[in-house]
Amino acid sequence: MTVLLALALGYTGLTCLALGMKRHHQELLGRKPTEARLRLFKAIGWLLLLATTAACLMLWPLGLALSMVPILVTLVGLPLIFLLPYRPALARHLAWALPLVAGGLAVGGLG
Amino acid sequence: MNGSLRQSMAWLHTWSGLLLGWLLVAVFVTGTSAYYREEISLWMEPELHQSTASDDTMDLAWQTLGRIAPEARSWDISLPDARNPAVQLRWQPAGEEQPRQGGGRNRGEQAWMDAGSGEVLTPRETRGGHFLYRFHFELYGVPRLWARWLICVATMFMLVAIISGVITHKKIFKDFFTFRPGKGQRSWLDAHNASAVLALPFHFMITYSGLLLFMVMLMPWGIDAAYDGDRRAFFDEAFPRSTEAPGPAGEPADMVAIGPLAEATAARFERPVSRIEVQHPNRENARIRISVEQDVAISGRRRGGSPTQVFQGSSGDLLETIEPSQAPAPLMGKVYNVMTNLHLVRFADPVVRLLFFFSGLAGSAMVATGMLLWVSKRTQQLRRQQPGAALKLVNGLNMASITGLLAAIGAYFAANRLLPTALAERSSWEIRVFFLVWLVSLVHGLLRPHRRGWIEQLAVITVLWLALPFVDMATTDSHLFSAAAWRLGALAGFDLICLLLGALWGYTLWRVARPKPDKRKPARARQPALAEGNT
Amino acid sequence: MSQLKNATRLSVASRAIAAVLGGYALSATATAALSVGLPMSRMDAVITASVLSFLIYSVAVIWAFACATTARAWAGIAIPTLLCGALVWLLGPAS
Repeated sequence: MTVLLALALGYTGLTCLALGMKRHHQELLGRKPTEARLRLFKAIGWLLLLATTAACLMLWPLGLALSMVPILVTLVGLPLIFLLPYRPALARHLAWALPLVAGGLAVGGLG
Repeated sequence: MNGSLRQSMAWLHTWSGLLLGWLLVAVFVTGTSAYYREEISLWMEPELHQSTASDDTMDLAWQTLGRIAPEARSWDISLPDARNPAVQLRWQPAGEEQPRQGGGRNRGEQAWMDAGSGEVLTPRETRGGHFLYRFHFELYGVPRLWARWLICVATMFMLVAIISGVITHKKIFKDFFTFRPGKGQRSWLDAHNASAVLALPFHFMITYSGLLLFMVMLMPWGIDAAYDGDRRAFFDEAFPRSTEAPGPAGEPADMVAIGPLAEATAARFERPVSRIEVQHPNRENARIRISVEQDVAISGRRRGGSPTQVFQGSSGDLLETIEPSQAPAPLMGKVYNVMTNLHLVRFADPVVRLLFFFSGLAGSAMVATGMLLWVSKRTQQLRRQQPGAALKLVNGLNMASITGLLAAIGAYFAANRLLPTALAERSSWEIRVFFLVWLVSLVHGLLRPHRRGWIEQLAVITVLWLALPFVDMATTDSHLFSAAAWRLGALAGFDLICLLLGALWGYTLWRVARPKPDKRKPARARQPALAEGNT
Repeated sequence: MSQLKNATRLSVASRAIAAVLGGYALSATATAALSVGLPMSRMDAVITASVLSFLIYSVAVIWAFACATTARAWAGIAIPTLLCGALVWLLGPAS
């Protein structure tokens, strides 16, 4: 089930990266961001993508893990792109809910 | 890069993308299916589904081959694994080896055996997932070499499109989260960009590795230069094979039981036995090779041997233990291995396979959105005029290559269940159904008006794909609500993916069929700024 | 894009030929030259060169379209092709 956690972290990471961009930030949160906030979100986004990589490394041997990271990120990124315009609120809530659920599953014995 | 050149690059991308897109979409879709070609084949041979492995499976296979092929020159037993529940038996009949038509090694005779009872199974005649897999890189009914070159040219173009796209459209990296819905051409452009850019690593890997798999065909000049035209010498060096000739068969002699030997090998490598090969079975010089499953390391050799033990057949003495060895490869050799292993998903992990399957779907969508974008753009340029013959032709071809192909694949699966099992040339009939449905969809697409045509074809594939699990239920005992389907996973997975994809087509149908928002606001759709979009 | 002028079309056609055929000639000769020229074992050199060949081809195609003038596009492909061909001829296996 760690794969779900990896996917969830990737999703949240990408959402944070989107929040680190001015236009998407306004779209998602409805207010003008400060430069500092944008930088903060970008940093969190990249950190979460690092966490995705770490989760992949737990799942697979090194070479395969590194190859799977971009594939995982792609697979969660595509739904995100289509959620942003249609269901921005859902996109935002998934960003905190998914890692919690996936983390719970991973800890709760299914991993 | 100056303006006019950017324009010529865009022109090249648009037109060759359109022409090759029809081919690429078929390559992507059938290639995506090929990730599950063994599962598809299994689903299409329901006669194998009840087979269950037991402790006796190996002995049963041993006895069955002893019964049906006692005089054979060699035996080859593939034991059940996670992807196939039945035992595959192969043997070379006694006598001189007949060269296979069209070259290559003669694969001899073949039979399936029930792993639990030892009974020889006769599955319905079908090409299974293999047909779609072969179509992916050599089409069908076209001279193999031509088809492979054609597909490689399309792949090469896609590689160039990827690299040049990155260079020309650097700005799409900046806002690739952008999707502007309900704006006709703009939305298609966004969808095309998003799926292309985000999945860029996957697309790059899949195209480059696709070319690498045909490296010797496409680019033999390095071999020719370094080996002075002697390609055989290169292959012998690159893929060394044991050249030990089997020698003539000895006097008849009984062989020892297979069970203890297999146990010894499984214990030695701490893995289950996957394959047993026998040279000169039932002779005094019989040799038994027992191999276990092998994990493929990502940079490992594509044709690496499995860990194997060789035994003397009549005495059961251990002759040789072959450890898995990783031949040291140069950096680019490793790149080759990584790329081709990824392309072929040579990993046991089912999660990896599923993720690749979804990536393949996304790739198919990328090509398809590009083709729809072409039509959308020109429809918008028309304003109020009637679409010309060229636009109609392109639209019909788009329909055939997207919804038509999906209808054809669905019909291929349905035909597998619905055609009588005793039908002569049954596997050819399945393929005929595939092409017939494809042809009908092309004719339909050319005759029907644009939007109506799409709606009708989407409706057909929605119904067809959603119906597949029910057809399965009506015709087999290993359907979604049976224990067998869940025991094997692959069978339940097949039906579930059909439902999932059917639902996806249904959702698309619903989006296309409902009234368009920009029809209510006609002024917005014709803003001049939207007409000049950069493709 | 019907607005493209005839001259541009001619240029695109010429560049396309340079890209597709010239690019192949370049990558073929470059692969051959690397195969005989790289300081590794014969097989490793062949594999290295062949794996890189598609990258060379892509770069050649992009060069053909990215160059400022058509003449430069052709020259940029023809000259390296000739050089690589000469290298193969010089270093090729003595048989």
